[in-house]
Amino acid sequence: MRNSIPKRLVAPGLLLSLASFFFSCGPGSGRDEYFGRIVPPQANIFRYVTGDEPQSLDPPISLGQPEARIYMALFDGLVEYNPKDLSPIPSLAERWDINQDSSEFTFHLRQNGRWSNGDPIDANDFVYTFRRSVSPELASGNAYLAYYIKYAQAYNEKAVFVRDHATGQYLLAKDFQKDAAPEPLSSKPDAVSAEYPVTAAEAKPDSDTPFHQLMHSPMRLTLPGSEKARNKLLESDSKLKAAVAGKDFVPVKGEDIGVEAVDKYVLRLSLAQPAPFFLGLLAHQLFRLVPRKTIEQYGEHWTDPDHIVTCGPFKLKEWVAYNKLIVQRDPMFWDAANVHLDGIEFYPMADNPSIMNLYKVGEIDAVLNHTVPNAWLEVVRTKKDYMDAKEAAIDYLQINVLHPPMNDVRVRKAFNYAIDKVAWATWRKIVKPLTAFSPEGIFPGYPQPKGDDFNPERARQLLGEAGFPVIKNGDGSYSCPSFPVKDVEYIYNTQESNKAMAEWMQAQWKQNLGITIPLRNMESKTFLAVRTKLEYKGFSRGGWSADYMDPFTFLSLFYTGGDSGTGWQDPKYIAMLDEANRTLDQKKRYELLAKAEKYLIDAQPVIPIDTSSVNWVKKPYVKGMYPNPGSLFPWKFVYIERDRSKWDIGTPSLSD
Amino acid sequence: MLRFIIKRLLVTIPTILVVITITWGLIRLAPGNFYSGEKRLPPAIEKNIREKYGLDKPWYQQYGRTMWNILRHQDFGTSLNFRGQSVNVIIRRSLPVSAGVGILAYLLALLIGIPVGSIAALKQNSRWDYSSMAVTMLGISIPNFVLGPILVMIFSLSLYWLPPSRWNGFFSSNIILPVVTLSAVYMAYIARLTRAGMLEVLRSDYIRTARAKGLSEKDVVIRHALRGGLMPVVSYTGPALAFLLTGTVVIEKIFALPGLGNYFIQASLNRDEPLVIGIVAFIAITLLLMNLLVDITYAYLDPRVRY
Repeated sequence: MRNSIPKRLVAPGLLLSLASFFFSCGPGSGRDEYFGRIVPPQANIFRYVTGDEPQSLDPPISLGQPEARIYMALFDGLVEYNPKDLSPIPSLAERWDINQDSSEFTFHLRQNGRWSNGDPIDANDFVYTFRRSVSPELASGNAYLAYYIKYAQAYNEKAVFVRDHATGQYLLAKDFQKDAAPEPLSSKPDAVSAEYPVTAAEAKPDSDTPFHQLMHSPMRLTLPGSEKARNKLLESDSKLKAAVAGKDFVPVKGEDIGVEAVDKYVLRLSLAQPAPFFLGLLAHQLFRLVPRKTIEQYGEHWTDPDHIVTCGPFKLKEWVAYNKLIVQRDPMFWDAANVHLDGIEFYPMADNPSIMNLYKVGEIDAVLNHTVPNAWLEVVRTKKDYMDAKEAAIDYLQINVLHPPMNDVRVRKAFNYAIDKVAWATWRKIVKPLTAFSPEGIFPGYPQPKGDDFNPERARQLLGEAGFPVIKNGDGSYSCPSFPVKDVEYIYNTQESNKAMAEWMQAQWKQNLGITIPLRNMESKTFLAVRTKLEYKGFSRGGWSADYMDPFTFLSLFYTGGDSGTGWQDPKYIAMLDEANRTLDQKKRYELLAKAEKYLIDAQPVIPIDTSSVNWVKKPYVKGMYPNPGSLFPWKFVYIERDRSKWDIGTPSLSD
Repeated sequence: MLRFIIKRLLVTIPTILVVITITWGLIRLAPGNFYSGEKRLPPAIEKNIREKYGLDKPWYQQYGRTMWNILRHQDFGTSLNFRGQSVNVIIRRSLPVSAGVGILAYLLALLIGIPVGSIAALKQNSRWDYSSMAVTMLGISIPNFVLGPILVMIFSLSLYWLPPSRWNGFFSSNIILPVVTLSAVYMAYIARLTRAGMLEVLRSDYIRTARAKGLSEKDVVIRHALRGGLMPVVSYTGPALAFLLTGTVVIEKIFALPGLGNYFIQASLNRDEPLVIGIVAFIAITLLLMNLLVDITYAYLDPRVRY
């Protein structure tokens, strides 16, 4: 009996020591140049994990990046992203003209565009696509990106025009707006020929059409479509009410939005405002071309593998839910000769360690961004297949500015001053400290303003001024007994990295201000609901990644009131943004945007924390795939290099 | 017996309806919507979505519509997250994977668990008994989200013998690690249950009688003792199989299997109401049927049980 006791422990002991042996030389081993096996795939097929199972193959439906990358294989747009910096490059549009204030865009389509079933692509396909994307019936969550197009917002919001029954005239917006912005050139009655001088590439100017003249007339007034909302508005504005009385309400239709097929291969977009960044937005999934005939035939099931018709460099071959989505090169694609890969296999996966394991054994060639788990970074970031470029994304804290004590800007500033962001970035390893609200070093030429640096002295002083004196204790620590801790909390959605960040911030405030802010974690959807409805007190985790490559994608978070989850809104800020976007000179515009950004960070409804990094890995034999700031990859450029001497050693350069 | 079965089946229907109703209510109570994301939608767009999916209707209309479709057409509707995909199709598609892996895991567990437990009981207090029971204790205590990665680390990342994840059908090496990981805890339970059951039976009068009749030890064990000794395993099998058939979230996540469990957890997190209701109803039905099956098996194994 006595000697059997050690033997009882033999088996578990063995297992444990075996496990620890393998742990010690598992992903932790630091000997190799690359992370895991480097064996190029036999076939000319790229294997990639783009994230979880796609919600839908209908481009305007899914909001996420994982789907965006699949759409980029299957669907083409007027423009495509430049693989290095995501700036727009010609795709189905060969070239384009932009009017002087960036409020009207004329695209000249290539004539060899074809659908995967061989049908030719022309401007009417784009008209259909754009109308569909903003239609209220489709109810795309991304539709707001198209709101710059004239009357698109009104159409999407089911608004109505007001028409005089007798004369057929519509009421105009400018007659009812106080301090209205000047009309963009796209709404001014000028002839096209005057606007666009004839270039060498074309024999005659683009024709002026009745629709174009309609677009070039002053903006019509639009009112809410629902009677309840409309009456409420009319009650508050007696002048409007009198003007509307006895008039007809005409629903805004898809045909009214500023999208026109001038002829078979010329598409014209008229915007409601100058939007210099709009061209860059057109590679977004919302604007990628969808097949009218197929959609009208199959309705919601048009994306079923048996029905789907596509127009991208690849077409759908096989889709097994939660297992694989396989695309193959489409010979019909206009640029098929320059598509390198025979196909791409997308594997839907969500568990980061599992994805990294698959990468390590060499069953996939690259992974999506943010996949390397925190605990693995120490090892993986030293490898030559680790991608560590900056991302067009930021982490920040939102502050509910509606309730005391956080409604006092001094208190908000104090909490900002009390965080050592440089130390945070050092500890987190893969982020860059941030004091402003746009990611740092992402937008070339943008004079990003500088916010307040770490300054605990100033933080304590500000808190004192706000009525919460910070006392220095005998042991060198601080305390702030008068601060109402019960009215402040820090909420975040349950996730390892969010927890780490919350605890770090909590420790900073404890150390520098002597205030311990309680942390509260929540399930993701619950968190979003609480944050959106401003049902939290104090701080909440925030993150944002760019929709397009312009600082406005960040600054516009506070463009409409309350959307930001902070409760902060300021007409002066909105006016500053409007002024910037009306500015034709890009340099001047950037300066004005920077001024607005400075105004925003001075008001401190947010505490900027860091600029993210892309944080993914790819095998060295994968070429033409760059760690660009949006982690979006135009697949036609990607190829598998068999010649070892041409492999990427380290992060491929973005500047060549 | 037949009357018993019919009665039990009839009770199933109201039970399922109650389960569906409670699920329906719970999803409504949970904060957030299927369309809420990091980027807040403008109110007009939110309204468009709510109108499109009938969420602007009064709750009793929504409830009525859901119940009508389920009762009248056995149709759970279309998923809100996976746009346009029918819930029935999703279940039909992912069930074979979950069920197949589950059944294989359980068969493996029986195949190893029963002999190990039986031998441990027959050789009580021997080295074999102690060491096998220690290992099974370990099997029960190590959760599968720990065991899975350890096995992956050994057999995939270090030895490169087996793929670390993904699904390639039942006849591929991809299936080995998930099945082994999943079966470990059941194997351990079954071994311990078998041992306990056997020990009790081996001391009973009818075994003594069998031995007194002069039957060989093999006959005593296999024909008499095992039959009684397995009763605890049988009652354990019902709920265990129901659980295994409908997929296990952890295993499917770690090994990226296209099974029902994966959908279930995602559907709940996404507030995908039709999909959650569909899967919950399906799991409830499976559970009730499995328990019925267990009761029937009882009657077969133990002559004293009569319905």
